[in-house]
Amino acid sequence: MSPKWRVWLGGGLLAAVIGAALYFPALRRQVYKAREITEKTAEQARRELLPPAPVTSGDPKVKAKMFWGSKTEDGSLVPITVELPLSKDPVLRAKQILNTLLAGPVDPEARTLPPDAALLAFYILPDGTAIADFSEALATAIPSGIQSEQLAVDSITRTLEANVPQVQRLKILIHGQEVETLAGHLDLTQTFPVSTGAPAVPARSGVSVLTAPIQKAIEKVTGATKR
Amino acid sequence: MVIDPAHGGVDLGARGTEGIRESDVVLQFAAQLRRALEAQGFQVLQTREGNENPSFDDRSARVNAQRGAIFVSLHIASTGLAGTARTYSLADFPAVLETTGLIPWDRAQAPFTVLSHKLADMVQAELAKRFRGSPPTALTAPVRQLRTIAAPAIAVEISSVSVENRAELDQMIPGVAEAIARGVADFRPSYVLPAGPGTSGGQP
Repeated sequence: MSPKWRVWLGGGLLAAVIGAALYFPALRRQVYKAREITEKTAEQARRELLPPAPVTSGDPKVKAKMFWGSKTEDGSLVPITVELPLSKDPVLRAKQILNTLLAGPVDPEARTLPPDAALLAFYILPDGTAIADFSEALATAIPSGIQSEQLAVDSITRTLEANVPQVQRLKILIHGQEVETLAGHLDLTQTFPVSTGAPAVPARSGVSVLTAPIQKAIEKVTGATKR
Repeated sequence: MVIDPAHGGVDLGARGTEGIRESDVVLQFAAQLRRALEAQGFQVLQTREGNENPSFDDRSARVNAQRGAIFVSLHIASTGLAGTARTYSLADFPAVLETTGLIPWDRAQAPFTVLSHKLADMVQAELAKRFRGSPPTALTAPVRQLRTIAAPAIAVEISSVSVENRAELDQMIPGVAEAIARGVADFRPSYVLPAGPGTSGGQP
């Protein structure tokens, strides 16, 4: 190899080393950043993607009745009146109400729903059936048991009954899916009566309680949550 | 009689801070209840005898294969006043017949809810006598396991896995077994099978 080529080769190698020294720290920062993003749970990612609670400053403040647990450990609920800006639109209003219920009472012991649970979607069908899609935390973080699971569902249905009269019955989904039980006990394949006189609709023969409109709405929810 | 110790296998059920697991404790309650019922002259089956986890439908199938069975599902709660017990049955719901004239599996409990309420009240009355703070009458709740049972069916839930010492729960075992066995024995004379598709009703 001629001396001229040696100079060129040496210069090229030196330039590559300098370039690498400048580029690698930036690359490392990018890798760390990417790792942090992938380490976030799907739940965290979903929360970040969810729109904020639909409370608008234009909504008038009204007295809302929330049903949280009593302190007596007997599995009963007590109504607590709070002032909230609530929309007149029943779907928005239901979302505002349920987000307040999820946020919990001042006294954490009176909480009926897990603090990590989130409302992912809410629809009301023309027949008065509401579909509430909650995050997985509602099922995984709730204390297992007939009493505690019933308390959770009752707090949702009674709070809806008191504040959103358009809702006749409620279907609960977990992460866009119909599940068999809430946490091993309470039957989530049925709809729960919300307004007085609306009967529970247990599962029909074969597969589930899902009627065509409910199934269609669930597909809509599932599609929405997958985006 | 079919006793159902709930959960099992990978499904531990409710778990207490002291390592108490519902799936373990209910097996002990079931063993004592079995002895109490056999002493009353009942033939007793269990949906599980060890750490298996049959599905809801497998448990139901075991009961539904017996004519004139009575079903009791045993649970330990995560919540509730320690040392209390509650009995649940399903609220009434319509028994819709298939075009074949058969009752759908998913509504198997429908023709039996009146009997289940009666059984639940009798058992709860006995539990309330023995465990202060327990409700005087039975409750209704949409417990999944009960829906596919074609027989009088109740769930008994004891509070709770959150006790500081496992001994507090163990002390309840004889009283719970005795109360359920007494309630079931009181219920037996009034147990008349409802007439339905393919059955004429009558005594079990």
